[in-house]
Amino acid sequence: MVESKSSEPHLRLCLKCRVQEATLDSRSQPVCRDCFTKFISTKCIKQIGLLGKETRPPPPSSGGGPPTGTRHYLLGLSLGVSSTVLLHLLNENVEFQLARGRNVPFDLTVLHIDTTTVTPSSPSSPVPLSPPHSAAKKSLEAYRAHYPRFTFLNLPLSTALSTSTSTSDPHHHSGPNPASNPPWPHSSSSTTAAGTAASRSDVTRHLTRRALQTQARARGCQALLLGHSTTALAELTLAEAAKGRGFALPWVVGDGPATPGLGLGGDGDGDGDGDGDGDGDGDGDGNGNGMGQGDKERDRLLVHHPLRDALRKELVIYAGLVEPPLTGLIQADKQDEGPVVSHKDLSIEEVMARYFAEVEENYPSVVANVARTTGKLVRAGREGGGESCGLCGLPLDEDGDERWRGELGIQEGSGSPTATRLGRLCYGCERSTVG
Amino acid sequence: MAPALCCNCKTERALIKRPKNHAKLCKACFITIFEDEVHHTINSSQLFHPGEKVAIGASGGKDSTVLASVLKTLNERHGYGLELVLLSIDEGIKGYRDDSLETVKRNAVQYDMPLKVVGYDELYGWTMDQVVETIGKKGNCTYCGVFRRQALDRGAKMLGIKHVVTGHNADDVAETVLMNLLRGDLARLSRSTSIVTGDSRSEVKRSKPLKYSYEKEIVLYAHHKKLDYFSTECIYSPEAFRGSARGLIKQLERVRPTAILDIVRSGEDMARLVPGESPSSCACKGQKSAVVPSLEDDIGGCASQNGRTPGGEMAAMDKQLRENETHEAVEVDVARAISENKAGGEKEKALPIRSSHGTSRGPTRQVLGNCKRCGYMSSQEICQACMLLEGLNKNRAQIQI
Repeated sequence: MVESKSSEPHLRLCLKCRVQEATLDSRSQPVCRDCFTKFISTKCIKQIGLLGKETRPPPPSSGGGPPTGTRHYLLGLSLGVSSTVLLHLLNENVEFQLARGRNVPFDLTVLHIDTTTVTPSSPSSPVPLSPPHSAAKKSLEAYRAHYPRFTFLNLPLSTALSTSTSTSDPHHHSGPNPASNPPWPHSSSSTTAAGTAASRSDVTRHLTRRALQTQARARGCQALLLGHSTTALAELTLAEAAKGRGFALPWVVGDGPATPGLGLGGDGDGDGDGDGDGDGDGDGDGNGNGMGQGDKERDRLLVHHPLRDALRKELVIYAGLVEPPLTGLIQADKQDEGPVVSHKDLSIEEVMARYFAEVEENYPSVVANVARTTGKLVRAGREGGGESCGLCGLPLDEDGDERWRGELGIQEGSGSPTATRLGRLCYGCERSTVG
Repeated sequence: MAPALCCNCKTERALIKRPKNHAKLCKACFITIFEDEVHHTINSSQLFHPGEKVAIGASGGKDSTVLASVLKTLNERHGYGLELVLLSIDEGIKGYRDDSLETVKRNAVQYDMPLKVVGYDELYGWTMDQVVETIGKKGNCTYCGVFRRQALDRGAKMLGIKHVVTGHNADDVAETVLMNLLRGDLARLSRSTSIVTGDSRSEVKRSKPLKYSYEKEIVLYAHHKKLDYFSTECIYSPEAFRGSARGLIKQLERVRPTAILDIVRSGEDMARLVPGESPSSCACKGQKSAVVPSLEDDIGGCASQNGRTPGGEMAAMDKQLRENETHEAVEVDVARAISENKAGGEKEKALPIRSSHGTSRGPTRQVLGNCKRCGYMSSQEICQACMLLEGLNKNRAQIQI
């Protein structure tokens, strides 16, 4: 016993297959490379399977025959580790199914929202694309070459927020026409004008999320896939709690229907640019929801996080293990792990990322527990009933707002210009735009 | 350059940058605004009724001293009609309470309030020094916290008082919110944020009027009002794990000062989202609660130590969770089907057998009763203080043999 331990350490066998040498440590078990990659992909495939059941195309309404629709998903690609690994696993899944002679399980559009570019204030072209030289565009070329099967898109944040999709989607042209509905006018200004790094980061993140949902709806996708790992979801939970959005947490962290009222077509409609230029099937509701009741089912969008059961450090390892490694594709993480120079330049998200990097290292199960716990909270402010925040689109918390008045010494009736432009804001967005 | 003027009165020079929102204020305006905000909290939550006898849990530290001072001021200014009493607990930690109790005694004179000191030895037969001697420095904060909570209630009962106010501040509450999120303890999350704890069943009502006051502002208030308080950490606390929640909150506050209140707000809102049942849908609940210290109180540890979990506890919880994960691997589909059924409201998805199974077995709801030994409210047959005492007394017997 003692001998074998000290003299032949390479004999440490993988605890799962018991054949190959264990070279990795997965959840305090020695495992081999193959078992590890399988472990990660199984976690993802399981979630994709669950989503597949929820998005099963309906049987054709007239006559028999097999279901005609295809599942269509949108993947939000940040060019970071998690979303890239998710993309890789989805590709692997499609290839696996094809190799078995089955149909393609889903169509995938991969969308990168470019938050670094700012669209010119007067858009000369109705469908502005990213400037040709942006770094994101370059990266996406590499992705495209790597995964030729999928459609890749790169949209600046301001463009992506308006419902007008590129002309390539004639069958789903529900938004007002692009010319009369200028690209989201506030995004560029609000991301740059919001005071602190924390506020900028918060506004950008929520607008990006909103843009992804808008685009997913506009492109007729049944689900938006996000690459959040267990760790990212835990960070998100605590970060949103720290930004005062505890009420909306279940909508942000859980898998399930996206917040209603996110179809920004409605914002355009409400602005009085004429209701007649839509496709006419319920544009007149004008309640800010934008979704005509008739196409509610069609516009039902799910948001899923297929990597919710994998830790970030596991995804980082995974990215380096597959052949060829994904590390070449992935954009270097902007937040270096160096010492904090100034807290003024940090965002709440960065604080959380630093914190959880440590917790993940020492107490991985505690990290997993956070996301799981939040999943048990009830989604309040459900479809139809409540109003949504004009910025992040999450449900407003009337009761909470009522109770809270005065606790911060907030001056009553200090109607900020932002509030009037965007409609009512939730507590969290108010913090990021006013405070 | 002209000196900045107070943004409230616009006449005096601004001397204070409010930690809460970085507003620039003069000394007088800061003190008034701080008091007004506590008054607002008391009013909006309807904490007191005229003629009520209220005990202030006084440790001699900054929070309780400020609480006593503010309550005295507001009581006189707004005519609350309260009868205020200082109530102190002597844990029996040499060198810690000796000095702070002196402070409380001076406060009693300064604020012209009666003072009652209750010792752990007379309540439990154990001083904290003796507890530490028996169980060591690790984990003794649990004992201290559990004993303290009951001590305040029992002390209040002795005085015939039904309402105890404590100096818990916004930082403490925010810390508890994050801590309970990390622990995955929804039940306690929903309890800990409410300003009043203890319902009709408990004989003594508790409240935290400083729930929305920043720790830093409490310090500033004490400083500018030249209050007499005693500042020292419990001598046993450096041994404890520096709760990651507290560290995290301090960092968040530096990034965005309002973060503390935002967390409190989130915690309150999330409390309304906790389903009206035990958060754990797992049948092996007993197993879990063995790890998560099922303190009856909302905020663990002692006043300087709120919500800090000893490092060993966090590691133990991690280990337990990992074990649960391996057990759950077998049953994960059932759990998911049920939880999806609840979350998505798509009933057709769950198999009828499973869902009925889930509800019949049903997660047991915590039922509040009273401890069989001491009568203190408890969800268990025997309250935690009595459980801890039992362990201690066993040890003592052995030592004596």
